[in-house]
Amino acid sequence: MVEATNMGIVQDLPSGPDQGVDAIVTGFERLGYVTDRSLATAVYLVTKLGKPILVEGHAGLGKTEVAKVLASFLNTRLIRLQCYEGLDLSSAVYEWNYQKQLLAIKIEEGSDSTVEEKERHIFSREFLLERPLLQSIQVEDASPVLLIDEIDRADEAFEAFLLELLSDYQITIPEMGTVQAKHVPYVVLTSNRSRELGDALKRRCLYQWIDYPSLEKEMKIVRTRLPDIEEKLARQVVGYVQAVRGLNLSKPPGVAETLDCAEALVALGKLQLDEEAIEQTLGCISKSVDDNAKIRSAGLDKTLGRSMEEAL
Amino acid sequence: MIRSQGRWTDAGTIVEFCRYARAQGLSSGVQETLAALEAIAALGPNNSDGLKFGLRSTLCSSKDDWDLFDDCFQTFWGGASTLPRRTGNAPKELAPRAKGRNSSSLMASGSGDDVSSEQGGSQAIAGASSHDRLTKADFSTLPQNDMAALEQISLRLFKQMSRRLARRRRIGTVRGQIDLRRTIRRSIPRGGEPINLRYRERKPRPHRLVTLLDISGSMSSYSLFLVKFLYALQKHFRHVDTFLFSTGLTEITNLFRTQRLQDALKALSQKPAGWSGGTSIGGSLREFNQLHRRKLRSSDTLFVVLSDGWDTGDPGVLAAELAVVKRRVRRLIWLTPLLGLKDYQPITSGITAALPYLDVFAPAHNLESLLALEKHL
Repeated sequence: MVEATNMGIVQDLPSGPDQGVDAIVTGFERLGYVTDRSLATAVYLVTKLGKPILVEGHAGLGKTEVAKVLASFLNTRLIRLQCYEGLDLSSAVYEWNYQKQLLAIKIEEGSDSTVEEKERHIFSREFLLERPLLQSIQVEDASPVLLIDEIDRADEAFEAFLLELLSDYQITIPEMGTVQAKHVPYVVLTSNRSRELGDALKRRCLYQWIDYPSLEKEMKIVRTRLPDIEEKLARQVVGYVQAVRGLNLSKPPGVAETLDCAEALVALGKLQLDEEAIEQTLGCISKSVDDNAKIRSAGLDKTLGRSMEEAL
Repeated sequence: MIRSQGRWTDAGTIVEFCRYARAQGLSSGVQETLAALEAIAALGPNNSDGLKFGLRSTLCSSKDDWDLFDDCFQTFWGGASTLPRRTGNAPKELAPRAKGRNSSSLMASGSGDDVSSEQGGSQAIAGASSHDRLTKADFSTLPQNDMAALEQISLRLFKQMSRRLARRRRIGTVRGQIDLRRTIRRSIPRGGEPINLRYRERKPRPHRLVTLLDISGSMSSYSLFLVKFLYALQKHFRHVDTFLFSTGLTEITNLFRTQRLQDALKALSQKPAGWSGGTSIGGSLREFNQLHRRKLRSSDTLFVVLSDGWDTGDPGVLAAELAVVKRRVRRLIWLTPLLGLKDYQPITSGITAALPYLDVFAPAHNLESLLALEKHL
């Protein structure tokens, strides 16, 4: 069973590195994720070297998507840990099922098993609630993809724990002993750079910065994700969003916003981007009142004119 | 591990490149070099894209590195990357560039480890006494060449302080939630009866901090340090709102939260918000009250004004607005660099109007005075 799944992965990734990287580019594209050789090379190295990868970049540029696509590309499980302020080990690693333990103690009250036996029983796997990190090293058949999303939101204590996990791939549960990873997971960490990560963690990872895509790449993304969209409309939307990014907004739109906007326009039955269409879909592009005002005052005609020119 | 099939991917050249990149300011160490060798071995020789991207993902560990890398790569392999331009002693030739990156203006450079190492010789000898002298020196009278050293010290001390604050625990009067995990563990010897309850206490929740920093002309020699001080404090508080004011109010909360110090300083220096202009404290406070009053919560908000109190506006307005703020915060702190002057008396109209509303009125003219604020936070 184990070998069979591993074979599948090997078949997916040709042995030559050039072909390997190419296979990732085309494979990701088939799954609807347009990528370049830079990211594909990094992902290839993740699979070859077994190192975690830290993906940074602005919001809405597909950082999280990398892990999801990698999981379906490798045909393996995706285990996701969303970080937040105050995330602690009991919700990231494991927790005992207390209610069930209490019940078990009550039930066993009459039995003549010794205290040690009782203890061993209520601290057995049956009562263990596995959280994402423990799950990720317990997968039986093949290496899963472990996505640790927005690591910058978790606090430093958690980061330190993660460091330990990522170097040994083992977790110690005092009541049970040490659990060693059966298959080392492919780890993808994402960060929005809301705080600087510790050096030790960064050093352990491969690094990838995802920037706003070029006009060409963004067009390709829109075409891949929305195959039905009119070419002219797509070009206008992409040109418009790229112009908006130059406006120094507090939250510049990412690719996700471009896709939202394009989708909205298609749903509204628009064939081209005019002033009315921009007004109607402003909510897709800008997420605050100040930004709304900035886009409006930037002169829609001007941005439109530019994207029209580009469309021609 | 590396088979020397192509001349330019032999291990020696890769190592040489790693050394070169480090000399240019990339933060990679020996570990990264080893990872790079492994990566290149995995990617195979004669793979020019792979060489670049593989090295980039192993050697870089931040956006700064990422931006620097292309240049290094370009220079080292002369762009073509099919044949190396033999570098010989290139690292030494180019070394001055690395230094140049850090010795730009104070505003742009922020902290740079290189600054201290460049001055390493003299610093080390001066030792403790210079440390002492610098922490007591008034920011405005400090000679230019001491600035870099003081910056180093201050960043370190600010960090220490915020870490110390984060560690501190208050004695809890209210017990927290029951910690079921430990309670059950304890109950086993008693047949599962939870007799001794164990509690889990919430980490003390730090105050919210709202700061207004005066960046008018009269404060200009202090503003920069105070900005850094505020930046360091962010770590300690759960929520920080930061504003700059001179004749008007500018919010920089988001800038502080999302950017690293250097980037934040760079962005600030480009803001046209009237660095070193005139002052209207009352007007700025009124603006604050109109737009941001809801950010104040009387239960846990610490409100800090950093200003010398030279107000060109009406002191009556200042008093009225401060009264509004006072009602809505837990503590109102006013810091002024002028208290550092020997014979300073708080008699300017601005300060006299403000004094009745202040909980703490303290100096902020040198590093020592800033660090002494710890007890009020």
